[in-house]
Amino acid sequence: MFPGPGGGYGGYQAGGFGGQPGGYGGTPGGGYSGHGGQPGCYAGYGQPGVNPDIQQWFSTVDRDRSGKINSNELKAALVNAQGKNFSDTACQLMIGMFDRDKSGTIDVNEFQQLYTYINQWLNVFRTYDRDQSGHIEEAELNNALQQMGFRFSPDFVRFLIHKSDMDNHRQMSVDQFIVVCVQIQRFTEAFRQRDTDRKGVITLGFEDFLSVALSCSI
Amino acid sequence: MAHFQSPMPSREFLWGVFQRVDRDRSGYINADELQSALSNGTWSPFNPETVRLMIGMFDRQNKGQVNFEDFGALWKYVTDWQNCFRSFDRDSSGNIDKHELRTALTTFGYRLSEHLIDTLMRKFDRHGHGTILFDDFIQCCIVLYTLTSSFRQYDTDQDGIITIHYEQFLSMVFSLKV
Repeated sequence: MFPGPGGGYGGYQAGGFGGQPGGYGGTPGGGYSGHGGQPGCYAGYGQPGVNPDIQQWFSTVDRDRSGKINSNELKAALVNAQGKNFSDTACQLMIGMFDRDKSGTIDVNEFQQLYTYINQWLNVFRTYDRDQSGHIEEAELNNALQQMGFRFSPDFVRFLIHKSDMDNHRQMSVDQFIVVCVQIQRFTEAFRQRDTDRKGVITLGFEDFLSVALSCSI
Repeated sequence: MAHFQSPMPSREFLWGVFQRVDRDRSGYINADELQSALSNGTWSPFNPETVRLMIGMFDRQNKGQVNFEDFGALWKYVTDWQNCFRSFDRDSSGNIDKHELRTALTTFGYRLSEHLIDTLMRKFDRHGHGTILFDDFIQCCIVLYTLTSSFRQYDTDQDGIITIHYEQFLSMVFSLKV
């Protein structure tokens, strides 16, 4: 159930988390590109580095015209298929990923990376939302996680859904999906660092545990 | 929090509060209703995560909301936290600095390294002032409590070290939030 051939956890492919963070099999862009930043991505446009369309988006989202976007402004701009705004958790997570100076806000350059990042996730989500229902159900989540290289027990997949969907315990919206996937990646990486002999089992002291849980959670 | 306990208010009092907080009269208080209730009065606006955590602690039916029976315990809990916070906020500044946090956590029975106290400060000092506000302080303590409880479940010989599988590890850290 835990280690598969090649030393992955529950079968995720060795190397998937190494040099190329994320490594979502088969999805364009690989999902996780935001971390390192991609300077020069839109270098062909007028203002160096910033796509004019994205500049426009930025101005729309930046309601208080501060030149910065915080997680509340981002939340107000992002709506999932259920017609609800993205969760606070999801917005904090995404701002936190691109907010290099830890100010709780992002500037237009960071927003550009975030914009790309969110679109990649939307594509990933659409790919796995087979029935186009706008949310991901247990079988779809299981499939998505497998494609990303994770193999979890049915109980664990159910646990993830159960934690996300407080009302019915049946399905996940796109923002919940993003949060779950990013958390799984972070915690898996933390686990992997400690699982040096690749047995899928680690020994952990109390403070180390606290430290991992606090630093990897949102 | 034994030091900070207040007497349980009467059922009539709680029922009055419950009815005011339960705006949609559903018989349940959800996170939004609780947040707006806590934002009123003398409390500064609560961060949504703290509210969600508190609901989670008292929501015995696992519905993301609490009924009247659970509400009494929740109400008392918030009041006790208030007393607790005030007692550690020595200078009555409305926030807690690193020194005050260390004192508080020691009082709760935690023995944590300087490194971990720093990690906590970094995480819960939301405004970058080197201090923690009331709601973030509650969140900090609940998070610590939740993590400690899930660690203890595996630390059966109580030596402060656990050996766990990958999925067990994920379930433990996911106990915080999704």
